[in-house]
Amino acid sequence: MSEFEKLKIVTKYELLKQFRRRRFYGALVLTLLAVILIIALYKGLDIPGKLSPLISDSPELFALFVTSAGATIPIFAAVFFAGDSIASEFEHKTGYILFPNPVKRSTFVVGKYIACLTVTSLIVIFAYVATVIALVGIYQQLPIEVFGSLALALVYANSVLGIAFLYSSALKGSMGATIATLLTIMLVFSVIEVSLIFANIDPWFMHGYAGDSIASVYGVPFAAAFGGGMPGGMERNPDPTTSFFVMLGYFIVPFILSIWLAKRREML
Amino acid sequence: MRESIVIEGLSKYYDSFLALDNLSLKVKKNEDVALLGPNGAGKTTALKLLCGLLHPSSGTAYINGVNVMEERERAISMVGTMLETPEFYPFLTPVETLSYLGRLRGMSGQGLKSRIEEVIKLVRLEGWAKVRIGKFSRGMKQRLALAQTLLHDPPILILDEPALGLDPRGMMEVREILKKAKKKKTVFLASHLITEVVQVCDKVALIDHGHLLVYDSIPRLKRKYRTSLEGVYLKLTEAAI
Repeated sequence: MSEFEKLKIVTKYELLKQFRRRRFYGALVLTLLAVILIIALYKGLDIPGKLSPLISDSPELFALFVTSAGATIPIFAAVFFAGDSIASEFEHKTGYILFPNPVKRSTFVVGKYIACLTVTSLIVIFAYVATVIALVGIYQQLPIEVFGSLALALVYANSVLGIAFLYSSALKGSMGATIATLLTIMLVFSVIEVSLIFANIDPWFMHGYAGDSIASVYGVPFAAAFGGGMPGGMERNPDPTTSFFVMLGYFIVPFILSIWLAKRREML
Repeated sequence: MRESIVIEGLSKYYDSFLALDNLSLKVKKNEDVALLGPNGAGKTTALKLLCGLLHPSSGTAYINGVNVMEERERAISMVGTMLETPEFYPFLTPVETLSYLGRLRGMSGQGLKSRIEEVIKLVRLEGWAKVRIGKFSRGMKQRLALAQTLLHDPPILILDEPALGLDPRGMMEVREILKKAKKKKTVFLASHLITEVVQVCDKVALIDHGHLLVYDSIPRLKRKYRTSLEGVYLKLTEAAI
């Protein structure tokens, strides 16, 4: 049997595992509640009215507001599913049953990654479907940029998965891996990015900045929309194409490291 | 190939602690060998090295002539393993778990289905076959672990304390299963239970503090030391303290 056949089997059963867990359905419910809350705040607080006359209400502004405020959804979804993917095999000793099989460790890691990517993508797509329904319901319009934003959100979620897999392969516990991923993305990367901005260095290569392309793809200027320019007069307007490759890099490098670490890791 | 298992100068350090010191032994085809020793003797470390779950500090091991350190996947394809206290994914049932593991070993279709039924019956988990493992006791997980070990009918069994966590009836049943299995298979079993070793194995490798103290057949050891296996165990491990 080829390694590809084994990969298909690993992925299938990893998916079964993910769909059996309550956390998948919990994540769907939380995502729906988050989107409803953001829409309610947008309308209830009359956000477009507050931004007027700099910018007027439009389907693009609505979509930008909902999807950018919900940009944390890919982070939490990816961390939710990937944090324990490798670490738990060692922590909960399930690796004693799984690893003494004639399957390469890298095949297990890739299979687990595909399953995590699938469930994470489903959560992100679900958030966008809710946004699209709201857009059509409120504006009877669907800006084409929503699909570009969705594509970038999926790439962003993928980059978070790469980082989560790295920590999951390197750290002893699932909880530690989950917290380390969140701290890296939401604190360490943010601190570096802000420091770069204050040093007048364009942070196009930073994870969070690239992630902002999820919103910038709508073509609504950030500074106009949220009154927040950057020091030195820089526009916070990440280029979607550049950001796509940056996020891909944030996936590829940690994920390759994750495979290397998982292969070397011992079942102590 | 006369030897199912060959261990050559296998050593393992955990940081500066030497858990296994230059272990060498050979297990012939269809022999049943127990790795006997007190807690912390290095038995589990030896088995984990043999299954490629640990990297040796030095030495190597072969399963049916295949180097475990160089061709791990090919080497362990001939082995059924049961290591430490086994844990399973709590969201899956025994049937799903065995189906997963069987497929990873190239089994499929009706053959896999009927073999799953067979091994589940063998370990007496028929009533629990479609219940999620999250609800299982330790003894039931031990039975399931034995089922997955035998699932693909491997020629070699590597077992670490196979009766651990079982009640007296369960222990007896597991030993009966192993006694049947050993007729056609090579069994390499780590244990500190002398009753289990005497019932299942022909030869004993006694280790303590990572050292191999003696490796011989049980009758020869009894003759040599003019005592029971328990006496041999107590005499040699006491000397090693």
